[in-house]
Amino acid sequence: MDEFAELAGRESEARRIARRQWFWLHFAVFATIQVFLVVVWALSSADYPWFIFPLFGWGTVAAAHAVFAFVVKTPEQIMIEREASGQ
Amino acid sequence: MMRWLLAAYRDPRTYTGLAYMLAVLPLGIAGFTVTVTGLAAGAGLMVTLAGVPILVGTLLFARTFARLNRRLAWTLLDAPVSQITPIRDEGSGYFWGRLRSLIGARDTTGEVCFSLLSLPLAIVAFVVAVTILWSAVAGFALPVVTALGGATELGTWRIDTPAESLIFLPISVLFLAVGPRLLLGWGGLIGRVVASLVGRVNFTELKSGVVSILARRGEADGFTILGDLRLRFGRSPSLTPLEVKAALLVLESNRVVIPTRREASTSYRLA
Repeated sequence: MDEFAELAGRESEARRIARRQWFWLHFAVFATIQVFLVVVWALSSADYPWFIFPLFGWGTVAAAHAVFAFVVKTPEQIMIEREASGQ
Repeated sequence: MMRWLLAAYRDPRTYTGLAYMLAVLPLGIAGFTVTVTGLAAGAGLMVTLAGVPILVGTLLFARTFARLNRRLAWTLLDAPVSQITPIRDEGSGYFWGRLRSLIGARDTTGEVCFSLLSLPLAIVAFVVAVTILWSAVAGFALPVVTALGGATELGTWRIDTPAESLIFLPISVLFLAVGPRLLLGWGGLIGRVVASLVGRVNFTELKSGVVSILARRGEADGFTILGDLRLRFGRSPSLTPLEVKAALLVLESNRVVIPTRREASTSYRLA
């Protein structure tokens, strides 16, 4: 593989790592806020479980973010990986 | 540390960035209002066909608005946005072709999304800028205001004497030191957001750029092509080795370019 292709491969890898780091940051904020909401619910009336609405609403977005970070690949990344594996 | 903080006072981007953040709020309101009104009216009137010119007008507005923001972000924030008129309309000189190109282009969707996002983005940019500015000024302004008979309230505490208002002075001194650096960093962040939304060179333009460079140079390697593309389009988040290599691979698989592989580099020429 030539130098330019190696550079492109490294950039692809850096983007992949950055996407995963952004997801973990998102997940940490999500988990903290949800725990906080559950604590507020438990310390207040603790009757109707209203915390499930933000849990499922934001949870869906967080799940989509996880798919984007761990599963989805951009066409550029697929092409670079194919070239690197000699296909 | 102090020298690094105060160096932001000498950086012209601190002031141009502040001007951008203050100017962007009325622009964002205008962009959002016109786009939402145009899309709603156009879609609602589509059954009478009167919606068609309204929708087309809205798309043209979104394009002009994105172009204006691109220019402002480049000039005032020094953001890495491409500064070339898109070539997507080339080769379709008649009205319906241009219309189809306008509606179908992926960039148009991005430009409409940017017009809609411009308002929340502008509000955040404006509020942070004004808060930094006011925090730096308030401690010095309040003693004067209270001496002239004015007053302010902090919770239940009414501050109406110059002596009381001196409580804000340390905060303002702190913000006088860190404020310009904060503004500079905030401007850089806003510039990157704008660049990622409307500053990209689309893939078709990128391929076209590669072909024209190879037509002019005859043969070139990836680094030369990337350098020439940056000269042609300016700085852009999409002008990276990954994107250029992907464009070269697509052109290679379409047999538009032919690679000549050597030990450490690959040269490309037109087929």
